[in-house]
Amino acid sequence: MRVNVYGSSLAAWVATACLAKVGNEVVINETMACDNKELNDISVIRDEAGLLDELQRQMDQGRVSRQSKDSIVKADIYWLALESNEFELAEKIIGQLRGLRSMKTLVVSQCNFSVGATASLQSHLGNAGDVVYIPDNLQEGVALKGFSTPKRIILGLDNDAALTKVKALLRPFSSKLEGLQIMSSREAEFTKFAITGMLAIRLGYINELANLADQLGVDISVVQDGMGADPRIGRHYLSPGCGFGGQNFHEYVSKFSGVLKDHRQQSLLKTVVDENEVQKELLFRKLWRYYDGKLSGKRVALWGVSFKPGSASIDNAPSLKIIEALISQGVYVRAHDPEALDNLRARYGDKKLVSFHEDHMEVLENVDGLLLVSEWPLYWSPNYDELYKKMRQPLIIDGRNIFDKEMMELHGFDYLGVGR
Amino acid sequence: MNNKNIKAWVGLQQHAEEMADIHLNDLFQSDDNRFDSLSILDGHFLLDLSKQRITVETLDKLVNLARQQKLASWIDQLFAGEKVNISENRAALHTALRLPGNELKEIDGQAVTADVHQSLAKMGRLVKQIQNGQWRGFDGSPIKSVVNIGVGGSNLGPLLACDALEQYASEELGGLDIHFVSSMDGSELEKLLPTLEPATTLFIISSKTFSTVDTLANANTAREWLLKASQISAERVIQHHFIAATGNPKAAKAWGVPKKNQLLFWDWVGGRYSMWSVIGMPIALKIGMGHFRDMLKGAHQMDKHFKAAPFEQNLPVLLGLVGVWNINFLNIHAHAILPYDGRLAQLPAYLEQLEMESNGKSINRDGERITYRTCPVLWGGVGSNAQHAFYQLLHQGTEAVMCDFIVPARRYEDNGEELQQQHDLSLANCFAQSRLLALGQGALEQDVNSKDYQHYDGNQPSTSILLDELTPETFGGLIALYEHKVFVQSVIWEINPFDQWGVEKGKQVATSLLNELDHVTGEQRLDSSTQGLLKYTQSKRQVGGGYEG
Repeated sequence: MRVNVYGSSLAAWVATACLAKVGNEVVINETMACDNKELNDISVIRDEAGLLDELQRQMDQGRVSRQSKDSIVKADIYWLALESNEFELAEKIIGQLRGLRSMKTLVVSQCNFSVGATASLQSHLGNAGDVVYIPDNLQEGVALKGFSTPKRIILGLDNDAALTKVKALLRPFSSKLEGLQIMSSREAEFTKFAITGMLAIRLGYINELANLADQLGVDISVVQDGMGADPRIGRHYLSPGCGFGGQNFHEYVSKFSGVLKDHRQQSLLKTVVDENEVQKELLFRKLWRYYDGKLSGKRVALWGVSFKPGSASIDNAPSLKIIEALISQGVYVRAHDPEALDNLRARYGDKKLVSFHEDHMEVLENVDGLLLVSEWPLYWSPNYDELYKKMRQPLIIDGRNIFDKEMMELHGFDYLGVGR
Repeated sequence: MNNKNIKAWVGLQQHAEEMADIHLNDLFQSDDNRFDSLSILDGHFLLDLSKQRITVETLDKLVNLARQQKLASWIDQLFAGEKVNISENRAALHTALRLPGNELKEIDGQAVTADVHQSLAKMGRLVKQIQNGQWRGFDGSPIKSVVNIGVGGSNLGPLLACDALEQYASEELGGLDIHFVSSMDGSELEKLLPTLEPATTLFIISSKTFSTVDTLANANTAREWLLKASQISAERVIQHHFIAATGNPKAAKAWGVPKKNQLLFWDWVGGRYSMWSVIGMPIALKIGMGHFRDMLKGAHQMDKHFKAAPFEQNLPVLLGLVGVWNINFLNIHAHAILPYDGRLAQLPAYLEQLEMESNGKSINRDGERITYRTCPVLWGGVGSNAQHAFYQLLHQGTEAVMCDFIVPARRYEDNGEELQQQHDLSLANCFAQSRLLALGQGALEQDVNSKDYQHYDGNQPSTSILLDELTPETFGGLIALYEHKVFVQSVIWEINPFDQWGVEKGKQVATSLLNELDHVTGEQRLDSSTQGLLKYTQSKRQVGGGYEG
């Protein structure tokens, strides 16, 4: 089939790559001016593992082409993967589609605008076609896999006639599909927001418990095991840490908390979002307390600055808040990350206090502390003796609880975890 | 020198006798152009003097009085940094606090402008650090609440400005909660502290002398509160939670405030003229340095106007002279400040200090007792609320009262119709009240059946001050207008408006009585009233103690 994808987001590029891979001819209409940037200059592509290669391959085989002109190429399916603030653009595209007067057009929207947005687009399109909503399962870091072999798909659809075409489109991605849930577009939109919010609340709650555990001298990992063993709760999204980040997750949660706040004065989710911002500075506060607030002139190493392992993105990452706090106190920040250094350099390249290091052991030279912010696999099992030797003060503050507290203390480190 | 002998003064006395029986209603009836000839429009301000019991001739005579009292020369001396505060041998250079950085000024070899801007720059850095969430409390948390501890000039100005300009606060400016505590009895702290989180609270100790007992008592309570909560040393508590805005760095240091937490100003800034200095830090924290500088700019514009405009067109000069006319020639000794804008609710309290502490004096610059009246009793409130309180007296009482009506022409332009209508309602009331006070029955339909108790005499004089709108700039201008008005009056009365000896002794007497509260030492010979009060208090503080009168 011919598919037109609209958008410049990660979701748009992932859809382009995956739809082309299964044989569709895909034209991607880049909605943000990319000035015909090379693919490897586009950060959302570069930052997502495997995406650049896949897109390149599909382009070489002629199944993907890029278009930035403001005109419509006829297609079987129009796939909208716009940013949540691009609703007007979506309306404009729908307007153009209506002008085509083609036979039943199918529009798949993956955009998280708001509850009721799909229905509104449908009324815009009139009877020239159908708009369906398929919320993305996008998990940055494993986005390609998430698109190609989803376990669940939610399909928001207000007219059964579109179902056959949608099913045909999704068939190549159904090998591991356990459930296709069909509901109205409004319900699907609400569900997407609700899932994201629920996950955020779980994280917010375990973080709050961890901070309390810190104060009460309880090990949160033991509590976490106990909680996770209860089938009503389960183990996923139950690891405390120094705050969640990432462009999408943060954006959805904030947006939905805004919706809740519009309808109710107080929103639980708003509190979670606010508290998460506080949590992002947790490692800084632990360092501050360790040194009694005397941080000026100290040297501190950061391991992992991306918002999570497997991604080069630093959007809303806790590392940013930590770096801001450290340089405000006159601390020398030595940063290491397997992927995100370029992005970090673009942001802090002009700051004398921040240096960027390719080697995760070299970054530790003479430091007064190591802050582990993002748990790349590279960090999980370091050479402890070398680590100890390199550091001026053997202080490790572990924002993801990846190290064993007793083991670290055995090696002579001062170890501070989250809730331990 | 006796003022009463000077020619212009005597001329005004004669003129006042001619004017004594002329009702404001008559003045309006006989001159359709009265508003045009007795109102001045300048910059963002309209000053309407037409509801004062004056004519153009009165203003001429008053301006003449100002000339005979050498007002122009006094204004020059004030701005030049001459030691106009003779009893304390100091300049009064609050106008230098709002000079742009490129207008250089020196006094006694001190580069005043450079000092001022250096001090503001340091304040700006701290303000930014706090607003960015990078000033840290004892556990490394960012500051969320700031409490200003200060009294008098270290309280009233910042409090007024923060209230008046609240709409300029924003989340981008850190969304800080700014609180003020002043009273020595601790009432405000008692209520406030339980609502604050110690780790995220910063205190500003605002005190020119750093010896004000009210302020230090509050500061000590705050310090103890933090010591208890943090369990860390006093040194670190102060380092992370206290800033001093002061003219006495030594005393601040002795209390424990390190140099980097000190914001300094100079002895040539009077307390009640100090909100333009680092004492204004709460204002900058609330509305941002940009808006704070706009406020300085507005005041500076008024300074320039005061210096340059001919007396006949000079807002502070005319405002001051008309006050002199009312006080000294029409024998009106009460002055009501009536803003018709809730954002200016603190303005009467602010002006009470500015006017009464400056000009509430009876000894002239030569040290002689003077024989004429000076500053009147001044009070007020938000006009529309005061209508339900003390306006009865204004309309039908036996006291002559002069009023200042203050209101912005525009408000709520982006805030929807309902609120704009409320502003319209407020404007209508403002204009109606000054009209009724001036004209009395003349403003009303004749009603033959009306009873005496329904009669409005009118003839209460008032000034209306209209601002385009209330912004940091017009607010700065408004306050500077009153500062200079006070100075104008002091020149006419030949008094020093910049000292306040009348508030010094009470503090000493209180200090000496403190010991007597626990037990009567008998070391002091006290009057029987004070003895009686002490004895009663002691008896009530002893468990089961009885009181024998």
